[in-house]
Amino acid sequence: MSSTEVLMAGFGGQGMLLAGKLLAQAAMAEGREVSWLPSYGPEMRGGTANVIVCLGDEPIGSPLIRHPRSLIVMNRPSLEKFGPKVRPGGVIVVNRTMIDVDVGRDDCTVIDVDSRAVAREAGNERAANLAMLGAWVGATEAVPPEAIEAAIDAEFTGDKAKHAATNRATFRAGLALGRTVEVTP
Amino acid sequence: MTTTTAPTTSEASTGAPPKLLMKGNEALAEAAIRAGCLHFFGYPITPQTEVPEYLVKRLPEVGGVFVQAESEVAAVNMVFGAAGVGVKCLTSSSSPGISLMAEGMSYIAACELPCVFINIMRAGPGLGGILPAQSDYHQATRGHGHGDYQVLVLAPSSVQEAADLMLLAFELAEKYRNPVMVCADGMIGQMMEPVVFHAEGAGPPMADNDWALTGCEGRERRIVNSLYLAPEELHAHNLALKEKYDRAARDEPRWELYGATEGYDLLVVSFGTMARIVKSAIDELTDEGLRVALFRPITLNPFPYAACRDAMDALPRDGKVLDVEMSMGQLITDVKLAAAGSREIAFMGTAGGVVPTPDEVAARIREELGAG
Amino acid sequence: MGSVAIDDVRCKGCGRCIVECPRDLIGYSNELNERGYQYVVFKGEPEDCSGCALCAIACPDEGIEVWRRPDAQTFVTTTGLTERMTHYCPGCTHGVVHRITAEVLEELGLLGRAVGIAPVGCSVLAYEYFAFDMFEAAHGRAPAVATGAKRARPECIVFAYQGDGDLASIGGNEILHAANRGEKITVIFINNAVYGMTGGQMAPTTLPGQVTTTSPFGRDVADTGRPLRVSELLASLGTPAFIARGAAHDSKSAIKLKQYIKRAFEYQRDGTCFSFVEVLSTCPTNWGLSPNEATRWVEESMKPCYPVGVLKEPPSEGGET
Repeated sequence: MSSTEVLMAGFGGQGMLLAGKLLAQAAMAEGREVSWLPSYGPEMRGGTANVIVCLGDEPIGSPLIRHPRSLIVMNRPSLEKFGPKVRPGGVIVVNRTMIDVDVGRDDCTVIDVDSRAVAREAGNERAANLAMLGAWVGATEAVPPEAIEAAIDAEFTGDKAKHAATNRATFRAGLALGRTVEVTP
Repeated sequence: MTTTTAPTTSEASTGAPPKLLMKGNEALAEAAIRAGCLHFFGYPITPQTEVPEYLVKRLPEVGGVFVQAESEVAAVNMVFGAAGVGVKCLTSSSSPGISLMAEGMSYIAACELPCVFINIMRAGPGLGGILPAQSDYHQATRGHGHGDYQVLVLAPSSVQEAADLMLLAFELAEKYRNPVMVCADGMIGQMMEPVVFHAEGAGPPMADNDWALTGCEGRERRIVNSLYLAPEELHAHNLALKEKYDRAARDEPRWELYGATEGYDLLVVSFGTMARIVKSAIDELTDEGLRVALFRPITLNPFPYAACRDAMDALPRDGKVLDVEMSMGQLITDVKLAAAGSREIAFMGTAGGVVPTPDEVAARIREELGAG
Repeated sequence: MGSVAIDDVRCKGCGRCIVECPRDLIGYSNELNERGYQYVVFKGEPEDCSGCALCAIACPDEGIEVWRRPDAQTFVTTTGLTERMTHYCPGCTHGVVHRITAEVLEELGLLGRAVGIAPVGCSVLAYEYFAFDMFEAAHGRAPAVATGAKRARPECIVFAYQGDGDLASIGGNEILHAANRGEKITVIFINNAVYGMTGGQMAPTTLPGQVTTTSPFGRDVADTGRPLRVSELLASLGTPAFIARGAAHDSKSAIKLKQYIKRAFEYQRDGTCFSFVEVLSTCPTNWGLSPNEATRWVEESMKPCYPVGVLKEPPSEGGET
């Protein structure tokens, strides 16, 4: 698999940093090189939170990518900020639960996900972030879905273990949705 | 978000040390424990805060001591006290906090006590910002406080290297009886990457010695002191310190040469986060057929002057040297010292938390090579 | 049938012993000793001396030993101090507090576990005088150094010895937080209402109207604030602690002070609490007074501002916390 990078952005609390961690964890378990670089500091306080995950077969050079190949975007301010920065030919997964504007990138593959509806149907309304991640993995096949599911199981332990099954189900629902999309490079 | 819960592992059952996904700050903290450091004293400041947040949970598991000090001034003096009684100890801060520790560092170095500092550099001067920068280079390598003392400075450029250098930091601290600083930046501190710890569990305590204050029962009393009112004595003390720093300068320089090492027309000198971005640029330029190499100092003090000079001397006569740093001309001081007037050094720098992209670095290199 | 042995080389001629002797048996020699001080001599007959040792207790320079009978020594110099003569001025009571501290550690059998921390100020060289492991710390930072040392080696008996510029001014934060955390250390705080080492500047503890080199017209409280009562301040914290204020300017005070310092170290030895003893101490040189005038100044001027006594005790076991 070739190297790629995905920027995940949303409001703080929408689970983008966790989704990114699950992706990095899954890729690492597959023996790939990974980096996970979050935004940090005051902007996290009630503002936007974003993370860039890089996947590669060689050690990751710069973990900070200004023009990522993919964007998973949860809210409108993040779409307006990062949408224009995605590389031509890239993939943008849009959270249609919260974003009703046009993405305006005819040169990218846009995947619309009503993340809350997908998550609710899968049994965990709070797992919208995993519906989004699933859609991206389904479309790009950047990592094997089983690796993400294993990462979910590893992350949700102890008191949180009860959420593992619905989180996996939500991820798989997103995955199925993503697989219906043909990525045009 | 932090990952201070038990890090998840991969290939846990293979017998090889597990690969963990950890933040740089957490990897530094865990590596300190693997090095045998069970005593931490610190004060919260962004972007290093995961170091104390990790250790406050982890140290009790290994019988260690965690104290949140009232200030960086107090933290460094707690380190002075703990180092003086002969335990491996650590403090961690970010740029403005390191400034406050300057006084204590001078005392610790003067008293020849081993200890380790982490500086997760952020942008300055003043309150500055919290994003990554390398603008504490002069502070780290030219001393922080007053007097003729030095701190050994190690600069990782990945989470794995941060963990590895933390082990080395404690080794050098004890070997030279001197403070050692691991100098990274907000990007290394905040990012997660895979890391493997080759050392198991909590490392060994400090070796027996003849200087730690442990109570004088059954031996001559000891004094940890930096006051020498007689000028001849203070002169002799400084000569002894210099001899030690000279020894470190001879034995400890570490560096990496990357890229077209068989033959190159342009040499970039860069360290830490900036160096890994330069590597991405070099990879891109190599694909274009340009011959570019990177000289990356790993020890900022002692700076690998001789190796850096050798790397410059391997350039053709019209070859170029480009200094790239996330500060306004600090690393270049040492690059110029290494060149000793033999070459012009071109400069590319950013500040304030602006991190150049590989494309920007590549563009500048093409420009230098007239290959635009 | 008592007797005293006065070391005329150690004597700085402050005359405290002369004032203390209830039978007026000590007086000045007509000679100067090798250091240029007019030293004191025993003037009476052996049968005149009761061996009460008040002279030795008040002596800041470990210059006197006392016997009640030839076979009963009532005042023995402590092994907790080195032989070195101090650099303190004649009549300065740092020496008294040094001696009491060392005596207490010796009597409690703690000299072999002691780690002391000297400050910056007149007692910067205290590590030359205490005969056990010692740090010399940066100005004001001794409580932080003590915190690090004690946390790392709880078996050691760790104490900071600090003056009022060091502790109450530049080190205000360190002492406040060490006390508030309840560090199991002991702090001995010398309050002489002036910066001594640097030559008599105003300290946070300087009295209203007191003339110093930086309050040449007397301390103006409207401009510089009121004397900082560190013991009261620390006693107000919720953390359990032993906090007492004593004085060192005469034998009676020194005897009481020793009880406080002993209790302070006992609390540390037992791991009970933070312990703090403030000592009203004399600075004849910077006060511009003779040693005897300085003694009176402590009584008449300092004590009303800084009342002596125990300010705070840790709750007794089973008691209120």
